[in-house]
Amino acid sequence: MEPHGGRHLGDSAKHAGGSVRFLSRVRSWMRAVTRRSRMEREMDAELRFHIEAFAEDLVRRGVLREEALRRARIEFGGVERAKEECREARGVNFLESLIQDARFGLRMLRKNPGFTSVAVLTLALGIAVNTAVFTAFDALVLRPRPVKDPDSLVAVFRTTPGDARGRFSYPDYIYFRDRSKSFSDLSLFAFGMALTSSDLPPTGPEARSRLAGAVGFQLPQLLQGSAQPVVAVFVSGNYFQMLGAVPLRGRLLVPADDQLGSSPVVLMSGNFWQRQFHSDPKVVGSVLHLNGEPFTVVGVTPVDYMGTLPNVPSLWAPVAAKVHVGGLAAENLENRLLIAGMPAGRLKPGVSLSDAQAELDVLAAQLRIAHPEDEKNTGVLLLPDRNDVAMLGPEEWALVGAAMSAVGLLLLIACANVASLLLARAAVRHKEIAVRLAIGASRGRLLRQLLTESILIALFAGAAGLPLAAWLLHLLIVEIASALPSAWGTIALQVSPDVRIFSYALLVSCAAGIAFGLAPALQASKPDVNSALKAEGTLFGRRLSRLRLRGLLIAGQMAACLVLLISSTLLLRGSQRALEIDAGFESRHVVCLEIINPANLRYPQARMLQVSRDLIRGIAGVPGVRSVAQASRDPVGGIRWVPVAPVGAAASTSITQETQTTGAGYSYVTPNYFETLSIPILRGRVFTPSEAEGQAPVVVISEATARRFWPEENPIGKHLKIGLEKGTMFYPGEKDPFIPSSEVIGVARDVRSMDLRRIDESYVYLPLSQSRQWTRILLARTEADPRQLLPAFGHEVQRVDASLPVVGAPLYTMISMDPFFVVSRVGGLLASIVGALGLLLACMGVYGMVSYTVAQRTHEIGIRMALGARGTQVLKLIAHEGLRPILAGMLIGIVASAGVSRLLAAMLFGLNLLDAFSFFGVSLLLGGVALVATLLPARRATKVDPMVALRYE
Amino acid sequence: MHLGETASVDKQLELLQGTLDMLILKAVSLGPLHGYGILLRIQQISKDRLEIQQGSLYPALYRLEHQGWIASEWGESENNRKAKYYRLTAAGKRKLQTEAEKWNRMADVISGILQSTPEEV
Repeated sequence: MEPHGGRHLGDSAKHAGGSVRFLSRVRSWMRAVTRRSRMEREMDAELRFHIEAFAEDLVRRGVLREEALRRARIEFGGVERAKEECREARGVNFLESLIQDARFGLRMLRKNPGFTSVAVLTLALGIAVNTAVFTAFDALVLRPRPVKDPDSLVAVFRTTPGDARGRFSYPDYIYFRDRSKSFSDLSLFAFGMALTSSDLPPTGPEARSRLAGAVGFQLPQLLQGSAQPVVAVFVSGNYFQMLGAVPLRGRLLVPADDQLGSSPVVLMSGNFWQRQFHSDPKVVGSVLHLNGEPFTVVGVTPVDYMGTLPNVPSLWAPVAAKVHVGGLAAENLENRLLIAGMPAGRLKPGVSLSDAQAELDVLAAQLRIAHPEDEKNTGVLLLPDRNDVAMLGPEEWALVGAAMSAVGLLLLIACANVASLLLARAAVRHKEIAVRLAIGASRGRLLRQLLTESILIALFAGAAGLPLAAWLLHLLIVEIASALPSAWGTIALQVSPDVRIFSYALLVSCAAGIAFGLAPALQASKPDVNSALKAEGTLFGRRLSRLRLRGLLIAGQMAACLVLLISSTLLLRGSQRALEIDAGFESRHVVCLEIINPANLRYPQARMLQVSRDLIRGIAGVPGVRSVAQASRDPVGGIRWVPVAPVGAAASTSITQETQTTGAGYSYVTPNYFETLSIPILRGRVFTPSEAEGQAPVVVISEATARRFWPEENPIGKHLKIGLEKGTMFYPGEKDPFIPSSEVIGVARDVRSMDLRRIDESYVYLPLSQSRQWTRILLARTEADPRQLLPAFGHEVQRVDASLPVVGAPLYTMISMDPFFVVSRVGGLLASIVGALGLLLACMGVYGMVSYTVAQRTHEIGIRMALGARGTQVLKLIAHEGLRPILAGMLIGIVASAGVSRLLAAMLFGLNLLDAFSFFGVSLLLGGVALVATLLPARRATKVDPMVALRYE
Repeated sequence: MHLGETASVDKQLELLQGTLDMLILKAVSLGPLHGYGILLRIQQISKDRLEIQQGSLYPALYRLEHQGWIASEWGESENNRKAKYYRLTAAGKRKLQTEAEKWNRMADVISGILQSTPEEV
């Protein structure tokens, strides 16, 4: 037969050559989208026509109509599949099916509220903790500074071979500021200083937060002094102008304020103003005495304004004001060796970082030519100052990595949990899926639909997790912020919603959705059609792969949970041990008294010496005090280096300022220092009083120093050259010593004074002359508990000089306040919280799995019991099978933890890497809890009534 | 298509997707047809030597229409039933030409290779 065409023909369309396909594609796509139902009807009609036409041909050949239709249909094949492919050919498929999938998925989720809520909440917990950590990281590091146009801010460092991030002196800063053409402004941050003011309204006792109590924060108490400490930071006059800041009240600093001759002004931070002065508007314009000098308060910066600093200071003052308060001698502004501060600049529009770097390199070279006596190889380094990323060293990044890994593990546990829930549900939907596969749905399509469901769950969880994360973070910040003393400045975390945070949460949710959804979806969509359509799915062997997957999930959860728990226990125990470190000197019966910024008092040298002598006498006279020593440095604070080298001997190593490794820590001490701190002298002797008074060129060195310079010999009698003729860069008030030849008279035992994690590399003790030097630090050795004597000390201070601000604390307390230890304690605490959450989730997972297994196998259990098995036998069977993946997981977890503990070694302070308590005890705990979680539902199995079970389907 | 008639002696060759497109275009170039008619015509002009899966016909038609080589319109069939007719567009005509040329060139090359004797190598 001849087919002939229809009677109506359309006009031929006229299309341009190349754009035909694109245009027609778009047109066809649009048509399909907008008139979808019509297209469906037409497609249906077309295919029906085809089948009927074929059938008619068959009829014409003599086949019966019924038979013809049947054969026509069979011959055509799957009509639905053909329709699917037609739709696909149209190009609507993806968006269309996505919406369809989403709608279907929502419906399924709505029908199972129990499952949905458990899945969403479990995942929300994991996502919330992750997002909270990321938000904290973002707020602290990634977020650009809250200033105008942070991308054009640049931090400038001075590089020397020993130090890539060095500070600048004032004249050098002026040099670059005046000569460089790349910056619209170059400002200087000249550090902060604790000042005293008698004009501050009294504040109530500082509130103690729970967290502070938990980690044992104890700060030195202010013993006596009518003046209260307040921290001010010093910035150049163009600082605020460079940052484009706007005042809350009054005005901000301008370059005119930063001249030696101009009247002293100061700004208050909004936080300080609110806290100390209760937002009194009369403060602006009033006079504030700082270190005895009158300053006019000309303005208030906005609340939580930090500029380029990591926290909010109490006061902002111009650099010139440092001279007024006695923190800087006027002539030192010309001193090229005095460390002044850190410059930051704003690039002019159109100038790139590399351009500016090139220009500054040239200027630095010119400076070197102008000052050939400078260190060799001094340069300049410019780094973007948009946020604090550049300031993170490898240690900090390791910390960040550890934190993210921990919460990542938690999220994985949550995902595994939800995955097993999904697997359980897939078993229930077995039939539905089989039917869909049978009528022609492609496996890929089915997979996509199941995955869409998972992603929907994940998105809901993400949406629920965000507010949870915000709440968690808020809680944490409030706790931490209130634990820190206000004198340290306020930590203001900008934790406002942010594109980065949202996209992170979204990313994490989707990743989680795919992670937990993929395996179950793959499992569920396996085309094992026949067995599903036949009767029940409770045949023994058939579910093997599903069982294996669930077992894998449980094992994974157990492993992850164990790693978290063991690591957090190790951290906690490590931080405990940190407090028990033997620093090498007595710390429990020593009080460290410190005069806060004595320069503030502006006493002449003679008066200061007298006050110091009287104070020592007074303290020594307090009953219960064994001895009082002086030191230029407190035994646990800071590091002061001076280059040292043996005189004569192997002078192959020439001392240069570059190689700091030939330096040693140093302090000036009175002869009774060693006795006061119970530092044994291993060889030789200490200074005699006359040697100390006369500042004779003698020195007591530490063991490590002796080992370094004279490894096999007796160091007594040898000579050391201490310091350099031309001096090294130094902080105000701390000029490095220079002694061309100092005789070694004694060797003291090594201590850990510079970094409690390590023994001091080298240390030298120089004699202190009480008639010529006074020190801020006094160390009093007590018989009994030093805390009891603190009030008596305060009384003495009051008696000697009422305006002297002195803080005192037992040395032991100061050790525990070392930032590193604080971080490790807080870290251990937080890690334990995460670990506990992981434990909760993992056990929920175990409980869920076993319950489900019991429910699934009720039929089988009924058979067994009907055949004579006793309750306990059934219990053992279920428990046995449940415990297998748990034990396997725990084994993996232990091995993994051993690896992790190696990574954490630095934070463990000598705790055995395979600490028995942590590994064994925690495993026992987890095993026990998991056992209970297994046995509880397993017991239900024994209560099964065989008759009911046999009928159960 | 198994209509109960005996297939021709040669085994029916299986068809690749790309060639099906070409055949559809050719079939339609001889005059507008509905889907079933296209099937019949291809069978006819191939003298029953080609096997075409009925289910793959319509997706191919939709694809070709989506790409603009053919255009469709509803009309009436010989039995006065509504059917969708497809006709070749101008662009489709050009496409058919180029495809046919490509096919011929390819056939030449392949047959040349297959016929090469050892002496020619």
